[in-house]
Amino acid sequence: MADDIDMEKPVEKSTVSNDCVVKSEKMFSLKRWNAVAMWSWDVECEICAICRVQVMDACLRCQAENRNDKEQEECVVIWGECNHSFHNCCMKLWVKQNNRCPLCQQEWSVQRIGK
Amino acid sequence: MSLKPKRVDFVTTWADLKETVKGVVTLGNVPHTVWYNRFSDVYSLCVAYPEPLAEKLYQETKKFLEEHVKSLLIQVNGSSEEQLLTVYYTLWQQYSQGMDYLQKLYSYLNTQHIKKQKATDAELLYGTLSYESPEQMKEIGELGLDLWKKYMIEPLKADLLRLLLGAVHCDRTGQSLYNEKSSTIQGVIQSFVSVEEFKKKNTLELYETVFEVPFLEATGDYYRQEASRLLQECTISLYMEKVLQRRDEEDLRSRKFLHPSSYGKVRSECEQRMVADHLAAIQNECLTMVQLEFQQDLRNSYALLKSIQGGLSVLVSHFMEHVKQQGLRAVVNQTGDNIAAQFVDGMLGVYSKYKEMTNNVFANDQQFTSALDMACASVVNHRFNANQPCKSPELLAKYCDSLLRKSSKGGSDTDIDDKLAQCIAVFKYIDDKDVYQRFYARLMAKRLIQQQSQSMDAEEAMINRLKQACGFEYTNKLHRVFTDVSLSSDLNNKFSNYLQNKDRIELGLNFYIYVLMASAWPYTLNTPTAFAVPQELERSVQRFEDFYRLQFNGRKLTWLHHWSQGELKLNYLKKRYIITMQTFQMAILLMFENTDSLTCKEMMEATKLNSDYFQKTVQSLIDSKLLAVAGDTGEVFEPSTVISLNMDYSYKRTKFRITAAVHRETVQETEQTHASVEEDRKLYLQATIVRIMKSRKILRHNVLIQEVLSQSKARFAPSISLIKKCVETLIDKQYLERTPNSTDEYSYVA
Repeated sequence: MADDIDMEKPVEKSTVSNDCVVKSEKMFSLKRWNAVAMWSWDVECEICAICRVQVMDACLRCQAENRNDKEQEECVVIWGECNHSFHNCCMKLWVKQNNRCPLCQQEWSVQRIGK
Repeated sequence: MSLKPKRVDFVTTWADLKETVKGVVTLGNVPHTVWYNRFSDVYSLCVAYPEPLAEKLYQETKKFLEEHVKSLLIQVNGSSEEQLLTVYYTLWQQYSQGMDYLQKLYSYLNTQHIKKQKATDAELLYGTLSYESPEQMKEIGELGLDLWKKYMIEPLKADLLRLLLGAVHCDRTGQSLYNEKSSTIQGVIQSFVSVEEFKKKNTLELYETVFEVPFLEATGDYYRQEASRLLQECTISLYMEKVLQRRDEEDLRSRKFLHPSSYGKVRSECEQRMVADHLAAIQNECLTMVQLEFQQDLRNSYALLKSIQGGLSVLVSHFMEHVKQQGLRAVVNQTGDNIAAQFVDGMLGVYSKYKEMTNNVFANDQQFTSALDMACASVVNHRFNANQPCKSPELLAKYCDSLLRKSSKGGSDTDIDDKLAQCIAVFKYIDDKDVYQRFYARLMAKRLIQQQSQSMDAEEAMINRLKQACGFEYTNKLHRVFTDVSLSSDLNNKFSNYLQNKDRIELGLNFYIYVLMASAWPYTLNTPTAFAVPQELERSVQRFEDFYRLQFNGRKLTWLHHWSQGELKLNYLKKRYIITMQTFQMAILLMFENTDSLTCKEMMEATKLNSDYFQKTVQSLIDSKLLAVAGDTGEVFEPSTVISLNMDYSYKRTKFRITAAVHRETVQETEQTHASVEEDRKLYLQATIVRIMKSRKILRHNVLIQEVLSQSKARFAPSISLIKKCVETLIDKQYLERTPNSTDEYSYVA
């Protein structure tokens, strides 16, 4: 196929593109790339089941209290072994009453905390 | 001299005393020794043995003064008409001065005998005692003044008034008919006040009844005639000029002649006769004045109408209507590329012009400033087409973008800063602030990630201005966007260190990345098209993802290739060109490394772009002459269309960008923005309604509507029907219910 060939050849070239000698031979050379990417929490459900706010936003409590400072970054996400995720702030309060995952009722144990 | 009471012969003592009293009241020469002897005579009489003679002394003194005043009256009456005021005034000066002395001479009598009988202040204020009871004894000074009032002013008052009014009239008409100096007139008028100074209450009673009331009447008559005369003679414009002049003259005259309590009364009498009585005539002229913007006339009419109850209303409403018309004329029918700038400049022009006018002409009167605000608001929020949303928020946002964007036009930082500050003036009038926010956020995001921002300081200053105008919540996401940009800068530094330390990895290009926080940026995670990253970039993507995973926990990255861009160097032409372009454009060009022509099918399969983006991207490259299409293809590229590299490309500059074409704001995007604003509004209103109902529990429909309107005012002006719709939705969702016994009441369902 035609595009197979097209795709093959640049691969060979790019592996050697660091060589200054070869570089000048190329028709196109990449000078700079400004990439754009968006990050989000790697979660299955986008809404925190405890406060019903999207996990990407600060939890309800943080939105109400920290109106003026930039501590929103602190309002991170926590994952349990059951792979369910919530706002860390919400879960901290939850486990004081009940050490089970609000969604699946398994005993709550932390898998990881977002950063 | 002994203080002991002794027998005193009243007749001889009084005869001596009487001589001295006569000397005192006529301001004759009274030697010191005589004065002291008479002083003790008064004492001796008051404490005389066997019986104190105070009462008798008082009666005799009174009788003497009575006769003295009567003889003075004869003297006044004897003088000619022209001299009467002067004579009266001279005698009054003498007499009142004399009374001062006499008061002192009789001080023993005053303090020991009369004060004791007199009612105290408290009794006067609260008691039922009548101060004027005839048998009441007065202190000597007071007695003298009272006698003057009784035997001088009473019989003379008609004459005095006639002469005073005559004199003032002469002063008004500018005739020098009267011989009296103005100090005489003032003195005579003042004597009406002075004779009653001893009184504890209503000290101005005599002045008011004898002089002020008839004077005001005469003033009114005079200016009534004057007004109708002037109205016949001149235009309203000139009339106002004259009236102001007359009023000011009369003010000065009041100060020259009258007691301070009369100043205001005279002024308002003038205004009544010359302005209020002819209000309609002046107000009829207002429309023309406003429309032709006769500053002097407007200033005059403001000065005149201000003090009349309700006088300004007509002028205010004409002014408002005029500003509105001027504003609409300035912003309507704009065409061309820079509609946004035309709109804002036009609006600001009108605003600052009339702001200055309210300042200079209307003394920043609150009625006019609020009329200006209302007029500007109605211009800014005017819909030229009733079916379309108001364009102003969008235009203003675009204008701000054009200021903050790097441009060849330049302009100093402070210049831009000033212009942005002015934008806030327009911004404050916008009802749909949420629409502005949407547009502004989109444009700002684009500026930042395409590195097209003129200055980060200016960006931040603008966000802070918006925050000041609308509060923290309004700019919350803008701030977040802004911090992401600086966080990204740190991240890039860390990334290059990471690459250095890890086997000195080279990416083969200058890599920079913006990592945006989802939900804060006005972009969704759904990328609009699939895309196969070219091999040349693949490595950068891989390395960065590895690095990012080490840096953070629980995050995933979504690459927004449609927003990224790069610089590609073209080595196959006569000149070397460095072109800034979209990643998609780069991907397409890179395929021509080893071949001069490709079919669209081949290119689409390699890049995996969807047809929409593919068409747009290829078209942009053909438009910029980098690629060429064989033959004429019409609107769309067929899979079989052959595209080839233009080997003869040339351009006057060697470094430039061709990114704009793909990212030009489309009509659909604008519509999308409006649609998403509409969705946000529904949620916002629902949240507001729930919040209100949660705190109030039960509320009538109208009250609820009012509450919602006032709470959402800062963001947008919701239509009543939208609020109703939201209430319905909430009833369906069982947040609210209608109360059973009333048709227009809701209650909150906990």
